[in-house]
Order: sequence, then C-alpha cells, then structure tokens
Amino acid sequence: MANNPVRVLEIGGHSAGYSGRLFVRSGAEVVRIEPPEMVPSWASDAATNTYLHAGKQRINTQDVRLVGELADKADVVICEASCADQIDSWDFDNFLTPIKVAITPFGRTGPKRNWHATPHVLLAMGGYTHLMGDEDKAPLSLPGHYLEFQTGALAYTVANACLYARPHRDTKDVDIGMLETVMALSQFTVVRWHCTGDVRSRHGSDFWFISPSDLFRCADGWVYLTIVPGFWDPFVVFLQRPELSVDPRFCTNDDRMAHRDVLRNIIAETLVTLSKDRIESRAEACRVPLGAVKTFSEILKDPHLDQRRFWEEIDMHVSATTVRSPGLSFRIDDEVRPSLRLNDTENDHV
Amino acid sequence: MVNGPLNGIKILDLTHVWAGPLAVRFLADLGAEVVRVEAPSSRGPRVFPSSPIGGWMGGVPGDEPWNANAAFNKLMRNRQSFCVDMKQHSGRLAFLQLVAVADVVIENFSARAMPSLNLDYDVLREANPNIIYVTMPGFGSTGIYKDRVAFGPTVEAMSGLTYMFGYGRNQPRNTAMALLDPITATNSAAAVVTALRRRQQTSKGCRVELSLHEGGVAYSGPWLIDEQLGNVPCCIGNRHPGMAPHGVYPCDTEQAGESWIAVACANDHQWSALYLLIDAHGMMLNRSWSLSQRITHHDVVDECLSRWTASQNSQQATTRLQQAGVSAGPVNTAADMVADEQAMARNFFVDYESHGVPMPGNPIKMPELNTHEWTASPDLGADNADILKRWLNYDNRQIQALEEAGVIMNAPPA
Repeated sequence: MANNPVRVLEIGGHSAGYSGRLFVRSGAEVVRIEPPEMVPSWASDAATNTYLHAGKQRINTQDVRLVGELADKADVVICEASCADQIDSWDFDNFLTPIKVAITPFGRTGPKRNWHATPHVLLAMGGYTHLMGDEDKAPLSLPGHYLEFQTGALAYTVANACLYARPHRDTKDVDIGMLETVMALSQFTVVRWHCTGDVRSRHGSDFWFISPSDLFRCADGWVYLTIVPGFWDPFVVFLQRPELSVDPRFCTNDDRMAHRDVLRNIIAETLVTLSKDRIESRAEACRVPLGAVKTFSEILKDPHLDQRRFWEEIDMHVSATTVRSPGLSFRIDDEVRPSLRLNDTENDHV
Repeated sequence: MVNGPLNGIKILDLTHVWAGPLAVRFLADLGAEVVRVEAPSSRGPRVFPSSPIGGWMGGVPGDEPWNANAAFNKLMRNRQSFCVDMKQHSGRLAFLQLVAVADVVIENFSARAMPSLNLDYDVLREANPNIIYVTMPGFGSTGIYKDRVAFGPTVEAMSGLTYMFGYGRNQPRNTAMALLDPITATNSAAAVVTALRRRQQTSKGCRVELSLHEGGVAYSGPWLIDEQLGNVPCCIGNRHPGMAPHGVYPCDTEQAGESWIAVACANDHQWSALYLLIDAHGMMLNRSWSLSQRITHHDVVDECLSRWTASQNSQQATTRLQQAGVSAGPVNTAADMVADEQAMARNFFVDYESHGVPMPGNPIKMPELNTHEWTASPDLGADNADILKRWLNYDNRQIQALEEAGVIMNAPPA
C-alpha cells in the first residue's frame, strides 16, 4: 500500500492517536494535529507519544484555516474532540475530505452531546464500572486507555471500510460516541437484565458462575485461573491432589460453587509456596487455563513474544533512545515489523 | 445483509464465544454478507441442563432452546445460518465450495483446531487463492506458548492489565470481564478491513493472525515504554496519575441499595469549579491547589467529596457537577443504561429481536447505516437451502439429498 499512500489527518486525543497508529502501520501517511487540551495520559507524555505517534508528522497548531486546508487534501480525517461543539469549532462539516470520522464522548447529537467526560466517567456510565471490583468495596474503574484504543480501532475500521468502497461511493461522514463504544462492548449485561431480571453485580476477580476462578497468591506474585467444568480433572492433576476428583464436595461445578471457600483454601495452600514459573510449567503440562500476573519487566523479557517477533523498535529521536514497543495486534502473512521514529512537533514540513 | 460500505463482501463465520462473533458483528453492521457456518451441536444440545448466562429470549427456553440463548443471539444479528456436518464428505465439499466464492473465512478456535480438520490456510487457499483467512488462537500459532490453553481472563493476567488493575499495590484484581475478547474483536475487524484493502491493491489473499495475548499486551504499550524509561508504573486503584480528584464516590448512603458516581477533574479549572460546588471552605482544601498538590492531598479531597456525594443520589450529583463543568457520571447498571436519555435519543439500543429485548447497537453511526434493516439472529440452519442455491447454484434435488443424508440440518442431534 506504500506506493500510493492514503493521506490521513488526525486531530485530537488518544482515540484519534490510536487510529492514526494503525494507519501508520498499514502504510498511510499520517499528519497529526495536537489537540488544544489533551486528556491526561496514564503514562508519561514521552511514553504515550512514542507508543501512539511514532511514524507520524506532528503539528502543534490551532489555526482552523490551516487545519481545514490539510483536511481538504487528506483522504481521511479522524477528528476527536472533548464534545460536539468542539468538533464544530474545527469547521469539521465543511472539510472536503472524502471520509470524515468524528469521535466525541457522547456523539454529535443528543442531550448530552456537550457533557464533560473522561474515559473513567464513560466506563461508569456505560456499565463497566458497576461490574468490576469487590462486592463490599467501591466499584473499580479500568486503568489505561482501553476505551480510547477501542474507539480508535473502530474509527480505523470504518474509515478503511469506506476506503475500500470509495471508488463506488459518496463522501462519508461518521459519528462515533465513546459511550456507545463502551455499551457496544458489553458482555451480556443488558440481555441478562432484560431476560432474567437479574442486575449483574461485581464479585472481585472471580466469575461468580465458575468455581474455581480467582487470583491466587504464589511465592513470587500472583496467578489467575478459570477452571470451567471440562478442566476440572486436569486441574486436580495440576494441583497434585487427585483425590479431589472423587470428593463429593467438588464433583460438579454446582458442588464446587457450594464449597467454593473450602476449595479456594485448598488451592491457595498449594500455590502459595510455588513460583510463577513453576506453576505455569505445571499448568502447561496439564493443559489447565492459568496465567501468571506479569509485571512489565517480565512482559518485556517474555520469550514467547520474542520468538514471535512481536516488538517493534522506535527511535525516540529527542532523547536519543530506542525502545521496544508492542507491534500491531494482527499480522498479515509474515510481514516484518517496521522500525519507526518519533518526530518532534512543528519540526516537519507538511 | 444491510446497506453499508462492505456491501459485496462475503464472509464465512466459523467463530464462537465472544471475540470472534463480536468482530463479525461489526463487519456485518457495516454491510458485509455473513454466513455463519455452524456444526449441528455448536449451539448446544436439544435440552439444556441449565439456563444460559444471559437467560432465554422471552424468559423461557421454548421448543427450540438452542435458538433462544439471549447472550448468543445478542452477537448474531445480520447473518444467515448454514448448519452443516463437515465430518461428512459432502458437507466438507459444500463448505469448500462456499470458500471458493467467499472473500473472508474467520474463526477463533485453538491453534490446533483447523489443522486437525484438515482445513488450514493451505487447504482453504487451494479452494480460493484470493481468500482472506483470519485466525485468532489465544497465544498465536507459533512460539513456546502456542499450545497453552487460553481463556480471556487468564491471558489478561499476562498482559499487564491485571498488574495495574485493583485497589492498590499488592491488591491486584482481574476484571473478570474477559476484556481481551472485545479487544481481539475490534482488532480482528480492523485486520479484516486492512486485508481487504491490501487485496484490493495487490489482488492477493492472505492469512491474518491475531492472538489474545498480543492484543492485551499491545494495550499496555505506554506502560511498557514507561518501564523502559525508568518510570515504573504501578496500581493506584481508582486514582489517575494525571488527574485529581479521580475516583468513584458513594451516593445516597442513607438509602437501601448502592449508588455511586464517577468523578474526574481533568484540569485546574474543573478543580476550581468542584471546590466551589461542594462548598469546600473550611474543609482543609484549597481552591488554588495544583495537580500535584491535589494528588498529595487526594485522601482529604476524597473524604470531602464523598461527604458531598453521600447526601444526594447519583443523578442529582451528576447534573450539578456537569452544570459546573466537571466530568462526572453515574455508575450505571444495565437498567440505567437502557433508560439513559442520551442512549434513547440516539436510539442506541435496538429492538430487532423477538420479545422486545433491547440489543446494544453499533457505535459507528453513518447516514447510510440504518438499524431498521437489521435482522435477528438466524435460527440454526434456517438458511441452508437459500445459501446453497444462491451461492452455489444447488438445485432442490441436491439440497434434499443433503438433508436426507443428515449433512445439513436445522436442529442439534437428538
């Protein structure tokens, strides 16, 4: 695709940034306009910019006319703003770009189109927060940029779908509300409430309908396991407690649910003295669904990710540092991950 | 099939559980023609041992419980169903004939599944050199973890998210929401359109691979880079490194039942507005505190804010905070979400299924995408004949022969 690259103008925050990140890696030429006020990041600005904006040209301007001129020359514009009126303030509707995607917290219409919201607020309104955390404590919000990246991926998807159809279709105008992204990515909360009358609630780390499923402390950290019924027999082998397979308290998932605290203690006692490595090896050998809670330094050294050539190298330029960053979440055939460079703002001639 | 930019694209959907079906739902909502290729027992047995997790459409299993699973139906709109036994020669042949005229085959089985059916990419490519084949094994098809059992929540632990999620240092939690599934779903939809664009320009099909593990790790990207820069990230509960106050606060504490509000002061201006609203004079707070001062004094800010929120319900508190210019919203349940005036004004929840079940809509809004065109989850095998005729030009006699041989059917095995 690099022979005739698509031109993308990206305006705004982390959602537009993530969308542009995907475009860069598909061979597009991406120009980024920094937003008037950035929603604070979960990491340092250096880290966030490196992750999201390597390979882009970046401009720090609020000149609406200049931005309009750039938009008119782009194939796609992804414009993220803090509310509907801020989208209008860019004169978005008059951009001549064939494919225009607006991203706002609540969408461009409706009574809340100009409400103030961060992802933390939207996750709460969209039903996620109510489900996360311990029953007897405050609900937990999700750290990181899940919502922004999910919205950015959807913006990328629809823009590419429109590019695919472009020879035969008219100009496209897309409106993505981030609250609706959260609600669209809900598990089964709404249908369960409607069909059974049950309001789903939070249960710490466990799936309330599966036992055992929880986090367990081990010698050097934590591990998580989810033993759905078909894995119970391998699991007792993993625990090296074969007698549990015939224990009447644990024969079925319902039995295990009824005795979940007893079972939890048995598992906790077994795992607390073992290392993450040892537990993972045993789980792999017994084919038990289990994952150790990895720190970031452990993830960066993960041999599996190395074997799969998952990482890409990014030259941070200003700090003369090269870091490894996650590559794309999908790979087409055996395409090699590119090395990219993080450019300064305003140093580029676009 | 509904109107949309992916009109003309034919997808064979072999997915199950959540990540794959959700990915395909996004593509179907954008106009792709999707045929769900289903094994006879893929929706469960004729008699269910217990109620499914999302309940039954209409509240009862009915005569065909396999067609009434609400959580399943939620993911299956805008598709047709072709139910075939691919273990039989003529079933396998029909499937490969469909591959020959399709654009995309998408599945989310384990890495071993398709090769064990002798339906790996090489076989599909032989049927159709231009096919785009999408696979999403939990840890990928290569590497030392490739044979590990992968469930969303267990892989989440390995992604960095569980390390950062919880009530603070040494109090990690798992979201227990299998978040790597919706992450992989959006990544898959993005991958499919990327592959389609690539094929448009190169005229070549391809194999697309995603792993739940890599999707999760990719979302930890900024933290992974920070780690290398010496800024070691750690779990800080409901707080935020760049905003304060930032948390979830109790409302209506005198009333039975719980009610909470999420509040985030994204800048000094919002803090000043919040300070005035909660009448913080004499509360040991300072209106001119900078972000770092607010972070230092987060405990006392939380205490004062909680006192203010506790005296009112979450809707009242939200309205007052929003009017003051502060980011805030109630912690909504499913019932609250469906009744939300913004969701209603934008017709987000759509009643296209039977029994008036409100189904989550599509966050991608375009003038040409019309939810009135949406079709309900198809019954198992409901479109067997139509697909064989329309895609493969089978005649009635051939179709009847397949039915009589038990190759195609519309109910699970007895």
